[in-house]
Amino acid sequence: MLWAILILTGIGIACGILILVVNRVLPKEPASLKRAEQVNENLPGMNCGACGYPGCFAYAQALSKDNKVFFSNTCATVLHDETMLSGIEQVLDLKVDKAALNRKAVVACSGNCENVGIYTGVATCKTATKILGGFKRCPYSCLGLGDCIETCPENAIHLDIDSNIVVIDPDRCTGCGLCVNECPRNVIKLVPVNSNIVFLCNYHDLRDIPGRGKCDSGCIKCRKCVKACPAEAITWNKDKSIPEFDFEKCTDCKACIEACPQKILIELKNVSKKIKV
Amino acid sequence: MNSNASLVTIFIGMVIINNMVLTKFLGLCPFFGVSKKLSNAISMGVAVTFVMLLAATATSVIYNYILVPYEIKFMNIIIYILVIATLVQIVEITIRRTNIALYNALGIYLPLITTNCAVLGITLINANNNYSIVQSMVSAVGGGLGFTLVLIIMSGIRERLELGETPKSLRGLPIAFVTAALLALAFMGFSGLL
Repeated sequence: MLWAILILTGIGIACGILILVVNRVLPKEPASLKRAEQVNENLPGMNCGACGYPGCFAYAQALSKDNKVFFSNTCATVLHDETMLSGIEQVLDLKVDKAALNRKAVVACSGNCENVGIYTGVATCKTATKILGGFKRCPYSCLGLGDCIETCPENAIHLDIDSNIVVIDPDRCTGCGLCVNECPRNVIKLVPVNSNIVFLCNYHDLRDIPGRGKCDSGCIKCRKCVKACPAEAITWNKDKSIPEFDFEKCTDCKACIEACPQKILIELKNVSKKIKV
Repeated sequence: MNSNASLVTIFIGMVIINNMVLTKFLGLCPFFGVSKKLSNAISMGVAVTFVMLLAATATSVIYNYILVPYEIKFMNIIIYILVIATLVQIVEITIRRTNIALYNALGIYLPLITTNCAVLGITLINANNNYSIVQSMVSAVGGGLGFTLVLIIMSGIRERLELGETPKSLRGLPIAFVTAALLALAFMGFSGLL
């Protein structure tokens, strides 16, 4: 029994000394890893993967090699946190223009269409959309079953009970884009945050006009927004038959918001308040 | 197998018949984690073989010269864990300071070799079978090579699977498990070899 204790202690001490010796004898840690550690201290550590790298440390290593990676693959959480952003700017010697990089996700649906029937299948959007294009009249609408809700790392998405679609809170959304990839009907769009105009219809087919029979508040393709814009920032996409917005030219005059007869052009800050017309 | 087994028998037994991953189901974590690219798989296999060899040598020296004479064979588990953890820490420090590319390739799996049950498994198998030092070394090399062999086969299959059309819910880890199960079935064919 005594031997057991002595030997265990002896081997433990020997192992400790061995590690100490190895630590002293080997050359110093290379500078690139030290820098990656420094960068990593300013990252959120959520390992969500939205930046495209497998985890925050891998992102830190890529940033320490080339700090332009921050602009091509922006970490949305760092962009929205003052402490982290200033830390990153300091460590990487960068100047970050928040307004240029900042984006928000918006659900481009006004949620006004009826159900075709009662859906009793698997309650995920990906499954429901495969069955005859979903249980709502409009085949491009939001189904409201919430695949995106679970994906959001900031918990910015919730279900609106009145209209049965999901709503993204612009204050919490960081524009990381994970929900955009999750949505099987591509209803969620990313808009630059200084654009401030949101188009709430996802119907992009030449054949039908949603306002007639599919949804009361869909785009009726009257093109009044195109005519109303004084800066010619709105163009009409003929193939998809939807308006397209060039936010570089937009002067935020809100003429298009007043011109739209279906009232589906609204300001970004009004998104979470009310969707229905 | 008892300690009278010949070296060749031990070696072939560990590589094919009692394969660490497919027959004994040890070391599954790095097996699924590192088998996506062939180059990573080879590096990981070599690292694990190296660690197994070192660990088996050190632990069999301790077993044969310290534990058996003083009749404290029951201490082998805790002492083996201590020794293996030290060895892997030394390997990690060495790789981190000398070869950054290899360190980046192995990433998080380097510390995982420490808790890898395959390494501890080899040392405990050696202890249970009362192998001498040379027999333990051969057994460890066999175990490591068996692990590397299966890792290479698996990464070859997984690289091909990336190009095919797997159903979305099975992509990544699920289809890897199914593949491993089929591989294990195939390796069962070797069971009557010796």
